Amino acid sequence: MNKLYLWGLIITAAMLGATYLSVGMSKGGLNGDIVNMLAVAGAVALVIITVFVVIKYVRQMQTDQATGELAEESWDNIGEYKNSVPFGWAIMFLGTMIWGMWYFTVGYPVNAFSQIGQYNEEVAEKNAKFEKEYANIQGDRLVEMGESVFLAECKVCHGIAADGIDGKAANLNQRIEEKSVKYVIEHGSNNKLLGTEMPMPDRNGLFNAATGTLITDAEIDAVAKYVANGLKDANSEGAKVFANTCASCHGPDGKGMEYVAPNIAEFTPALVVNVLTHGKKGAIGKMPAFDRLNAKQKEAAAAYIISLSKGE
Amino acid sequence: MFHWLEKHPFLFAVGVFITIAFAGLIEIVPNFAEASRPVIGTKPYSTLELAGRNVYIKNSCNACHSQLIRPFKAETDRYGHYSLSGEYAFDRPFLWGSKRTGPDLMRVGNYRTTDWHENHMKNPAAVVPGSIMPGYPWMFTNKADIDTAYAEQLTVAQFFAVPYNKPVPMKDGSTAVVKMGKSVAEAHALALEEAKKVAADMKDQDVKDAVARGEIPEIVALIAYLNSLK
Amino acid sequence: MENRPLEYDYTVAKMFMLTTVLLGIVGMLIGVTLAFELAFPSINTILGSGLAEYTNFSRLRPLHTDAVIFGFTLSGIFATWYYVGQRVLKVSMAESGFLMFIGKLHFWLYIVGVAAVVVSLFAGVTTSKEYAEFEWPIDIAIVVVWVLFGISIFGLIGIRREKSLYISVWYYIATFLGIAMLYLFNNMEVPTMLATSPAGETGIGNWWHSVSMYAGTNDALVQWWYGHNAVAFGFTVPIVAMIYYFLPKESGQAVYSYKLSLLSFWGLMFVYLWAGGHHLLYSTVPDWMQTMGSIFSVILILPSWGSAINMLLTMKGEWQQVAASPLIKFMVLGSTFYMFSTLEGPIQAIKSVNAIAHFTDWIVGHVHDGVLGWVGFMIMAALYHMAPRVFKREIYSKSLMAAQFWIQTLGVVLYFTSMWIAGITQGMMWRAHDEFGNLAYSFIDTVTVLHPYYAIRGVGGLLYLVGFLMFAYNIYKTWTSDREVDAERLNASPMGA
Ligand code: HEC
Ligand code: HEC
Ligand code: HEC
Ligand code: HEM
Ligand code: HEM
Ligand SMILES: [Ca+2]
Ligand SMILES: [Ca+2]
Ligand SMILES: [Cu+2]
Repeated sequence: MNKLYLWGLIITAAMLGATYLSVGMSKGGLNGDIVNMLAVAGAVALVIITVFVVIKYVRQMQTDQATGELAEESWDNIGEYKNSVPFGWAIMFLGTMIWGMWYFTVGYPVNAFSQIGQYNEEVAEKNAKFEKEYANIQGDRLVEMGESVFLAECKVCHGIAADGIDGKAANLNQRIEEKSVKYVIEHGSNNKLLGTEMPMPDRNGLFNAATGTLITDAEIDAVAKYVANGLKDANSEGAKVFANTCASCHGPDGKGMEYVAPNIAEFTPALVVNVLTHGKKGAIGKMPAFDRLNAKQKEAAAAYIISLSKGE
Repeated sequence: MFHWLEKHPFLFAVGVFITIAFAGLIEIVPNFAEASRPVIGTKPYSTLELAGRNVYIKNSCNACHSQLIRPFKAETDRYGHYSLSGEYAFDRPFLWGSKRTGPDLMRVGNYRTTDWHENHMKNPAAVVPGSIMPGYPWMFTNKADIDTAYAEQLTVAQFFAVPYNKPVPMKDGSTAVVKMGKSVAEAHALALEEAKKVAADMKDQDVKDAVARGEIPEIVALIAYLNSLK
Repeated sequence: MENRPLEYDYTVAKMFMLTTVLLGIVGMLIGVTLAFELAFPSINTILGSGLAEYTNFSRLRPLHTDAVIFGFTLSGIFATWYYVGQRVLKVSMAESGFLMFIGKLHFWLYIVGVAAVVVSLFAGVTTSKEYAEFEWPIDIAIVVVWVLFGISIFGLIGIRREKSLYISVWYYIATFLGIAMLYLFNNMEVPTMLATSPAGETGIGNWWHSVSMYAGTNDALVQWWYGHNAVAFGFTVPIVAMIYYFLPKESGQAVYSYKLSLLSFWGLMFVYLWAGGHHLLYSTVPDWMQTMGSIFSVILILPSWGSAINMLLTMKGEWQQVAASPLIKFMVLGSTFYMFSTLEGPIQAIKSVNAIAHFTDWIVGHVHDGVLGWVGFMIMAALYHMAPRVFKREIYSKSLMAAQFWIQTLGVVLYFTSMWIAGITQGMMWRAHDEFGNLAYSFIDTVTVLHPYYAIRGVGGLLYLVGFLMFAYNIYKTWTSDREVDAERLNASPMGA
């Protein structure tokens, strides 16, 4: 075999090897996706075709002789042969022209392709597939799924460790931070955390039943600490304030009451789903709503967040 | 024939021109009437948003960011509904981009917020570890060009009948009116009013102070624009 | 035929050779900077954070593309025109005071245009349209420059001695007409200073600012009709003009086939313009228009390959020349890269492939195997061939040229292979769903994986830049050396060791 063809084969093998490696190294590989396969096949074909066609002409440089009848003209001493066009080239040019005209006037209209139609099919197919799977996703698997949602959608704001990246978003490893509790008491809150329009009053609406007056700055500090601490320290000043000011709505244990106030002791699926559905605006900033997540994805995200704060 | 043409340069040139010109006609003309009609819910840009859009263009954000969501599930999952032609009716120029070094921004207003943008534009890697987007801290001090944005509004209203100060239909059946000032001074006042709302959600004290003084830093206009992308 | 060369006047060619080299260095230096900014973002503030507004990736990127396209490539086109035009039309610029004047005016106005572009892009004055970033005042300057170029072409043709136009001239004429048509239509814009407010104020805001005549999808359509064909009439047609002259000339071989030249030329003219839709696949332009773009892209392989094959066949039986001359190597490898990118483009224009390729670095890879391997190689080869004839001196160093060839070839290969892998990897990651039906990767995951490829690309680009500096040095030394050649060689440029 000629050395050139050997080189061609070496390049081809290198190409195939590199492709194999880079596809193999990527998570999921080709993923059974026809688009992925076509792209990779196209890249491989491109190298192989170009290399071997060029080798063919290089061979002619090595072995052939220039021949043919010269045209009369010469421009700045450049001559020109009257050779006919290479046969293969001519056939392919003609062939692609005919194919193009056929495709545009017959093939394409008959096929009635529409990109939106294609999209609808793709979505229907994938949704059907995953809906079937969703039925069985529970418990640890649901947390795992939630982690996958979190890593794709939420970590940009909450950080990979869900710590809120230095206060740029909520730290999800704990139910709530002191600063946020304080802010809510001072300014009220209306984030549809119950799924409905049910605001929490601001400090001007918060009576301390024990003192019979509006909650004071000192009491706010105390109760905020208590709530942020996970309502653990039952003997603290904060606990007393809580019992007398907040428990009426949030319940004695802070676990909330349906239609009255949300759970502020721990994350619940309903709470997280409501945040994802309506967004949330607070002391830290604004959390956008996530319409594009489906119900199962929201449920999973909640399961993951709950698992995080449990892990504390 | 061709040999003859090669001896008659003028006719040769005419031949070349005809050969290359008519493909353009067939490609471009049929779409013109159809595509420029806005879909329901598409509003013209306010003065501040337009100033922000010009900040976006000035800094060539389109070098890294597309604004075109293609109809693939992976894309609509990531960015939201695929793009519709009529949504671009007020986009002069279009900003589809041709390279996604960063994510698509066509609907970024749906899933990012003022305070996040503020942190991110100042130093992207501080919010998104590993980000290769440059920071744009000077936008916090440079002043947005409201005059030019206003001139642009006037131009599109006068030359292309963009509906300012007129009701435009919204998706929920209501109508919305995007106001355009009657004078430069009024345009500034309108922009400032909007800027105050954006600044209220921001943390940077210098920016808040500037807006309180009646100035509009570029970042405020840019965020107004980014928030309008939905 | 008697071979007594006319005394051609290369004054204008020389001026444009200078800008080809200088703007090439500038453009590629910025390119290398961009490449490393993506690999190591701290380079964005390389001149300090105070200047970051002017040195960050997004401000510099249009400067790169415009410096290499409207600086390096266009200068190369002008330089070769003012050289090749005279020779194949057999008429000297010295014979017409008028054309000489136009030529010089063309150059100096071009310099003014370049200066205006540099200032405006650094200042962030841009319309955002790729390869058409300039605001209306610069557009006007560009139109004037272009008209002068046209007068030069047709003026020289008007006083020619050689009745029949050589193939290269066909391509130069097409370059002129194509860009003229495209540029005008894509730059229709209304200056905003024309507006009057209801209160009667006029001249509001920046005087240079404008808005596009077209909106949204229409604007995109016109832009990519332009953008695609700017590639056609900037990176393909005039470069083919060059190879049709310089390869036969340097090798002393006759062009393989007139018929192939003819069919390739008219085929290219006819097919190219229809393919612009491949930049808008899966966008909001109508399906049929996208399909048309795909179909014509596939057809386009043949007229593109026609010219390349014609050139490769011109070298039939001349392997010893290819082996011996780095100058010819540049051109033979150039046609190979031309074939490569004109097969790659059509593959990327297939809808399903474009679903991955679009928006990724695979496109950037495609761009650069074309511009580095084809446009860059051809322009450098052309200047190498011209130098001894223009400066009447031996090329300074053949071994330097050979070293440059291998360094740059390695650079191109590193550039496009890394961008291939980067692009396909990223495209596949964007599309991937995991077992739960969620997106498998957040966007930033698809950015951080690219780091090694961005670094490799940077190294590839740096090698190419180093090669270009070797080229600049070689040309400079040729110009200033004392190794004069008195009789011009018909072919095989004289080179020192
Ligand atoms: C009148 C009923 C009521 C009282 C009294 C009340 N809350 Fe609330 N609280 C609510 C409601 C309703 C919400 C949900 C508001 C929303 O949807 O944004 C809420 C929300 C909260 C939140 C925000 C949870 C989150 O994730 O953002 C905190 C923290 C909180 N309450 C703490 C307290 C504390 C501490 C007190 C006592 C000092 C208190 N609340 C008193 C009704 C009440
Ligand atoms: C654009 C940034 C951003 C994104 C993306 C984001 N969040 Fe948030 N999120 C925030 C901010 C800011 C807060 C804090 C709001 C406040 O209380 O001030 C928050 C708060 C929350 C809360 C409420 C915590 C509480 O104490 O009430 C939950 C739950 C939450 N995010 C879950 C998620 C999930 C799940 C995702 C992904 C699907 C997500 N977030 C994506 C910015 C974001
Ligand atoms: C060098 C490329 C580059 C440039 C230039 C750039 N960006 Fe980015 N951008 C990125 C990358 C990469 C990301 C993803 C990582 C991140 O969030 O930082 C991103 C993310 C973003 C996001 C978040 C979108 C999302 O869905 O998370 C916004 C908004 C954004 N950029 C706006 C801008 C604006 C406005 C400009 C111009 C002033 C700009 N970018 C310039 C690369 C760039
Ligand atoms: C048969 C010939 C060619 C075809 C069919 C073709 C096709 C394509 C396609 C499909 C794209 C990608 C569009 C996208 O998805 O973003 C593209 C981009 C590009 N090609 Fe080609 N290509 C060809 C030849 C060339 C050559 C020879 C060059 C340069 C020497 C070139 C330069 C470019 C450039 C600069 C872009 C980037 C445009 C942008 O900014 O997005 N192409 N081409
Ligand atoms: C030293 C060599 C070069 C290097 C390192 C280089 C690097 C780059 C980089 C990093 C980009 C931006 C890609 C992105 O946005 O991700 C780019 C874009 C581009 N470069 Fe270069 N470049 C070089 C030479 C050239 C030359 C010589 C030309 C033309 C003759 C050229 C034409 C272009 C074009 C047209 C684009 C835009 C591509 C697109 O939008 O798709 N480059 N280059
Ligand atoms: Ca591009
Ligand atoms: Ca322009
Ligand atoms: Cu193209």
